[in-house]
Parts: sequence; structure tokens; C-alpha cells
Amino acid sequence: METIIQVENLVKQYRKAKEPAVRGVSFDVRAGEFFAFLGPNGAGKTTTISILTTTLAKTSGTITIAGYDLDKQPKQVRRNIGIIFQNPSLDLELTAEENIRLHVSLYGLYPYRPMYRLMPADYRKRVADLAEMVGIQDHLFKKLKKFSGGMKRKLEIVRSLMHRPKVLFLDEPTSGLDAVSRRSLWEYLKKIRDEENMTIFLTTHYLDEAEGADRVCIINQGRIEMVGAPHELKQQLISRYMLIDAADRDRLRQELEAMQLRFAETDNGFQVRYDGPTPQAIIAQLQTPLSKLEVYDPTLEEAYIRLVTRQEGGMGA
Amino acid sequence: MKSSVFHEINAVVAIAARDITRSLKSIQSLVISLIFPLIFVGLMGETMNQNMGQGLGFNFLQYMLVGMVVNTLYQVTIAGISNLVEDRQNDFTQEIFVAPISRYAIILGKIIGSSFSSLFQLVGLVAIALILNIPLGGWDFVRLLLLSPAICLSAGALGILLVGFVQDQRTAQILMPLVIFPQMFLSGALIPVNHSTGILNFLSHIIPMTYVVDLAKAVFYWRDPAYDKIVMHSPMLDVWVMAGFFFVFSILGTVLFARAERNR
Repeated sequence: METIIQVENLVKQYRKAKEPAVRGVSFDVRAGEFFAFLGPNGAGKTTTISILTTTLAKTSGTITIAGYDLDKQPKQVRRNIGIIFQNPSLDLELTAEENIRLHVSLYGLYPYRPMYRLMPADYRKRVADLAEMVGIQDHLFKKLKKFSGGMKRKLEIVRSLMHRPKVLFLDEPTSGLDAVSRRSLWEYLKKIRDEENMTIFLTTHYLDEAEGADRVCIINQGRIEMVGAPHELKQQLISRYMLIDAADRDRLRQELEAMQLRFAETDNGFQVRYDGPTPQAIIAQLQTPLSKLEVYDPTLEEAYIRLVTRQEGGMGA
Repeated sequence: MKSSVFHEINAVVAIAARDITRSLKSIQSLVISLIFPLIFVGLMGETMNQNMGQGLGFNFLQYMLVGMVVNTLYQVTIAGISNLVEDRQNDFTQEIFVAPISRYAIILGKIIGSSFSSLFQLVGLVAIALILNIPLGGWDFVRLLLLSPAICLSAGALGILLVGFVQDQRTAQILMPLVIFPQMFLSGALIPVNHSTGILNFLSHIIPMTYVVDLAKAVFYWRDPAYDKIVMHSPMLDVWVMAGFFFVFSILGTVLFARAERNR
């Protein structure tokens, strides 16, 4: 798969800061990938995404996006990316459609016209299609002051997709949204990703949002700690186990020992780790009738917390 | 190349149109466009005219009207440009700054948009002049209006310099009156400054608006018997000083503004 974002030795030192916010970070993102960039507050996520989206100058390092060098060809980079910022960057005095019209004119997609009906038919169709997809078609000509947080986010999605970007950057897109708005936003994003086949670069504090990512990159204290698919990260960081119990505990213990499995006996039963064989393969071999079976599948959040707290512990040690 | 130029022009038009749209929708702007001329020309001007305006050798209210035209264009344009500070705090600049356009297109669009917005404000001033029976001057006033792009460009350049230095809206709110009011009183826009001496004379010579007001009055009072009593400098000197301020302020301001956005 072709690489669409290449970051090498990225460093950012803010003027008034003692320590660099980003310390020699390197990673790549493949075309069409859903890439989640995670890290605790102050880890360097927003700094990195700001540099990638050309709104912040880096101190050193090289970055290529969609084949264009960020330093030498910033305009081409901007033409190929769409961004949904952490804080909505909309003009609240304008209507939703006026915000979109301004955007397409800034990107040189259509000549600016002072009224919606004077804009090219192609523009009006694209606006109508995208607005319908996210469910704001009835609010296009209303002032944004009357929009809820969720509707503003949907409008930003419509706006960011107007120029058909190759990479869509989402910087904590669901912060401040309620659970229903979060869910619907992700449904729309999934739909858009399937239809438009674009690369998604996500930063978020909600780890469940990154579960569906192709790859997750964890940054902490300005350094990349780990990159990989969510299941790889979980495997590396959290041991998976199942909880089983039986009326005849002695017989079950003997069977587990005979199978040379790692397990611990607790009041609730036996915690059996299954890093190698699957739970099904283990259970198939057991002869003792079970009274309890719970398969424990760790979440990305647990893996993330394990990694971050391990680092903090390491720093403190 | 051609499409690149078209793209930049399209962006300038869109940014300017945004300001114009906002201005047309703003009831606050409409109210201000009527209240300010009423206070300055109707109350202050009429009082000064009745008590000090006799024997000047020219119509003081008309003199003040010309000054108010320049003042309105100048101040509203600066205030419009300073909205970039508000945009910066509302995160709207992110949307503009990630667009594939040059920083100069952003600034130029902002200057043009603010300039048109300031022209709308003149409607209130003309209305007040008609109500107060102040002679507009016919073609003299038309000539003055033709000069308005130059007035707005001068103001825009000063506005850009301000947003280049000022990073937050609170500082902008403190700084704006400090920039606006001294210029209003020392430039000769509302009160003649031909006989100012000492520090006031020095200050009136170093502020950019003095030359804008002087050129506007030279254009308006061209071939008028009162020309020599009102106009202080040669129009060419005014033009050169305005051009100098424009290039220095706009280039320095644009560089500072763009750097402030990216080099944090």
C-alpha cells in the first residue's frame, strides 16, 4: 500500500517552552488507512497535527503528504488535505451554506458568487448530497448561531469533504459532543470513508473511537511509544484470559496443569491466559463440566492506560 | 500560472465577500453608522460651529463632514481588519490558513472587505448631513468618494500592522481606541490643526491619517477659495507619504501576522 504521510525526525520546540513538545517523531500512514494518533494531554498530538496541517511551523524534520514536501509545497499539501479542528472553525455570523461557499472559493473549486443560486449546479449538487448524507439539508440556510455542537461538526464534515481531500485530519472531532451525536458522527464518517475512500488521521481522547482503526500510534511526552494494529497493541500490552470454574475444582486444576497453561486460582474461579491457543481450543480439550465461562477481551483503552502509566512509572523511577 | 492567479483572485473576492455579508447582516453596524455621525457632526460639530465656527472663512460643518467621511472609512476599515484578531481567538483563521492560498490574498481580501463595509457606513453619514442641511458639495463629494479606495488602503495597511503585533482580542480592544482617537483629533479630520504647535504639531505630522485627511481635503476643496486655509501640504507629498506608510505597514504587518500564526 502506498504511503500518503511520511514523517521523519519531527521536532517542535515552542519558543517559551523549556522542553520540546515533539522529540524526533517518525511514522508513516498508508493511503486509505484509518490511522489513530493517541496520547495523553500534552503528549504532542495537537502539535503534530497542527504541523501536518501547515498551521504551525516545525523546528526540524521532514514531512511528505500525498507526495508533496510540506516545506517546499505547502499549497499542494493543503489542497490534498481536509481538516476538522479540535475547536469548530466556523463563522457563526454566516449561514451553513455561506461557510461552505467560502471554503470552496478558498480552495479554488468554484468561482465565488454572491448567492447560492448563482453558484454552479455541480456545487449545489455536491452541497445537497453531502448535507443530506449527514442530515443537515434542512439547515443549510440558517445562521450557525442556532446550530447545536453536533450540527456544527456535521457542517465541518461537509465542508472538509467539498474538495475531496486525500487525507482527512480529525483533531478530537467528538470533544464536547453528547453520546448520541458522537455515535452518529462516526456512522457518517464510516459511510464517507467507504464512499470517498480517503485516509483518516484521527486524534482522540475516546479510545473506543480508535478501536476500529487500522493502526494506532501512541505518542507520549513527545515520543512515539508504539505503532501497530489495535489487536497487536493489546497483545503486547495486556494479557488475555478467560475465567472458568467448575463444581469439581480439583479435577479442573489438574487438567489445566496437564495442558501446561498459565492460570491463577481466585475466589471467582480460574483465570486462564490464552496468548497462544484460542479459548475455544482450550475448552474443547477440557473434560471437566464447567459452571462458569467468561472470555476476557481487553480493550484498547486498557492497553493504552497500561502503556501510558508504565511510562509514567518509568519516568518516576 | 493563469489558474493560480485566478485562484488567488477568487480567494480574495470570497474573503472580501465574507466581510461584506457580515457587515450587511449586522444591525449593530447600521445603528453605529447613524449614531456616530449624529454625535460627531450633529452634536459636536453643530456646537463647535455655533460657538467657534464663525469667521473661519469656510463652512465648518462641511469641513467636518469631509473629515468624518475620511474618519469613517479609516476607522471602520481598521476595525474590520482587526476582526482577524477575533477570528484568531474564535479559531476561524485556522480555516483560512489551511486553505491553499497565499497570506497576501488573505490580507488583501480582508482590506477590500473592510473597505466596502466602511463605504456602507457612509450612508448614515450622508443621511445625517441631509437632515442637518449640510451642503454635500456635489461633484466635490463625488471626487472625495473616488478617493475612498486610497483612504481604505491606507487604513487597511495600518490595521494589518496592528494585527501583526496584537495576538489577542483583549489587547486589541485596549489598543484600538489608543490608535483611533489620537488620529481622529490630531489629523485635522474634525478640528483644524493648521495652527498646532509644539508636541501637538509634531504628533499631527507623524500620524498616517493626517496625510489621508489632507489629501481628501485637497481633493474636495480643489479650486475652492478656502483651499489654502484648509489644506496643509502639497497633494503629491500626501500621496508619497501615504504610499510609504502603505508599503511599510502592509508588508511588515503581513509578515508579522503570518509568522505569529505559524511560529508559536
